[in-house]
Amino acid sequence: MQRREFFKKLGAVAAVAAVTPSISFAAEAKKPTGPNELSFKAAVDAITGGKTPVISSKITLKVPEIAENGAVVPVTVEVDSPMTDADYVKAIHIFATKNNNSRCIDVHLTPANGKAMFATRIKLGGTQDVATVVELSDGTFLTASQNVKVTIGGCG
Amino acid sequence: MEKGKSLIKIKPKKFKDGEVVKVSFMVMHPMETGMRKDKKTKEIVPAKYINSVKFNYNGKVITTMNVWESLSTNPVFTTYMKINGAGDLTVTYTDNTGEVNEQSTKIKPKG
Repeated sequence: MQRREFFKKLGAVAAVAAVTPSISFAAEAKKPTGPNELSFKAAVDAITGGKTPVISSKITLKVPEIAENGAVVPVTVEVDSPMTDADYVKAIHIFATKNNNSRCIDVHLTPANGKAMFATRIKLGGTQDVATVVELSDGTFLTASQNVKVTIGGCG
Repeated sequence: MEKGKSLIKIKPKKFKDGEVVKVSFMVMHPMETGMRKDKKTKEIVPAKYINSVKFNYNGKVITTMNVWESLSTNPVFTTYMKINGAGDLTVTYTDNTGEVNEQSTKIKPKG
């Protein structure tokens, strides 16, 4: 009898164990996602209208190669441009490619800026690429990116 | 600076007419993503982040920014600006909860 009861209990435990993973999966599905979830590719397509931006040496993207704290990562984008009425940088977009919402900021510049430069600090959830897409006044898109190693994630 | 306060910094401090100067706008803002859980109450902290920033110089918009929640807490926005006569530089920001804040500084070129 004892042996039989033992197997009954064992069966009950196995049943519970079989159910629990599905519960944890459900909890994972309910994991909070940000208000504006957007992948990197979708974000770039939304900006360029399907065009593929060209990798350019005109852009200077300054990001640390190793960021100890993902919550504060300084990013500087500088574009070599005369910034006259005829030829200027229209917009600078900054992306964190693997963040929940990869779009960080869109900066719309005018010739009154005098110099095409923008600097800010962003949050990175983990090791990933930081990318920038630059729109020129003649309608062309340039891009540059750099990998950043993050020791402690900045989201959550 | 207190919460919600902002500051405009111009470098160099003394400048001439027509010179290109560096302008930094700093804001004390939590920039909550809406994904973080409070460690004590275990509840999700509601999203609160800056939506847009606008630089206005002498009634003319020079730079506008669309901002998302991936920016750091207490963000800094640094860009350049060409000095074009005396006047006011006004920076306005809006966040997703509808909070609007404005900060302005006087531009006085010398020489």
